[in-house]
Amino acid sequence: MHQIELINKWLETTAVSKAVAGGIPWIWPMCETLHFIGLAILIGCIGVLDLRMLGFAKEISIRAIHQYVPWGVFGFAINAVTGTMFYIGAPGQYVHNIAFQMKLLFLAIAGLNVLYFYLGGVMHKIEALGPGADPPLSAKLVSLTSIVMWLGVAYWGRMLPFVGNAF
Amino acid sequence: MNDLYQFYTWVEATPYATWIRESGSLWAYPIVLTLHTVGLALLVGFNWAVDLRLLGFASAIPVLSMRKFFKVMWWGFWINAISGVVLLMADATTKMTSWVFGVKMVFIVIAMIVLRRMQVGVFRLPEIGKVIPQNAKVMAAVSLACWVMATTAGRLMAYLGPQVGLIVPVK
Repeated sequence: MHQIELINKWLETTAVSKAVAGGIPWIWPMCETLHFIGLAILIGCIGVLDLRMLGFAKEISIRAIHQYVPWGVFGFAINAVTGTMFYIGAPGQYVHNIAFQMKLLFLAIAGLNVLYFYLGGVMHKIEALGPGADPPLSAKLVSLTSIVMWLGVAYWGRMLPFVGNAF
Repeated sequence: MNDLYQFYTWVEATPYATWIRESGSLWAYPIVLTLHTVGLALLVGFNWAVDLRLLGFASAIPVLSMRKFFKVMWWGFWINAISGVVLLMADATTKMTSWVFGVKMVFIVIAMIVLRRMQVGVFRLPEIGKVIPQNAKVMAAVSLACWVMATTAGRLMAYLGPQVGLIVPVK
């Protein structure tokens, strides 16, 4: 924890931190706005694949619906960048905030779930599934985990001001 | 106008609106705000996916089969209509006099009209599988632009126009 405090102290001295924290007043609201647009793109474009793997919209093949994944990654990238900006701008309000810690935990589980999906053979098992085919249980569990984790990330993000006084 | 303002004051003072705003219960403002975010993700996020398809992305998907996702968008819409009314009640005098809130509502109305036109117009054309008509592409572009504007205005309500601090820490 001590190391983190030192890093945060240093972060606060940087020009980026000062700009984000209010030095340039439109940066924080702009990042907030982009963070919500990114959230929608991420959950929407990963959600269509998740729902298909759960058996919804079965007339779409897995390979076809999987074309949305780069858009989901795009949404994630927007949020990774803007989220990092918030942290750089005001590290002190996040580091001890339980909502922030839970958000990181849910993000980590969502990330491991993606790794398992691609490297654990789940995608390999389902990528040839055409229209009408019902994915196996392992794919459904991955989808369910994905949905719960991403909605959980949004929940903990929303809780930041309420449980830890972050703005 | 004065009568209306009195009505907003009355709404804000009802026990339910007061509880939402001031109780510090997790189930009041924080959960309603979370639901509003989940609804946004379902409505705007899935509409992004459909719009992108109409604009030519994810071209391996037969366009018509995307119609299933309208059900998800309508779920998102109703979640947000209900949670939005609750958030509005808690803060009626401020939001109903905020030009930013007005801008947000205008873009939502346009986006929802486009969504409905898309659902009953574009997604019932038998030939949609082969060629995407020009007007469908225009609808998709307008839809994307309106959602970006609505999301932006919604977020900026915390920074522009009249505001009141609504963050009551959860007890």
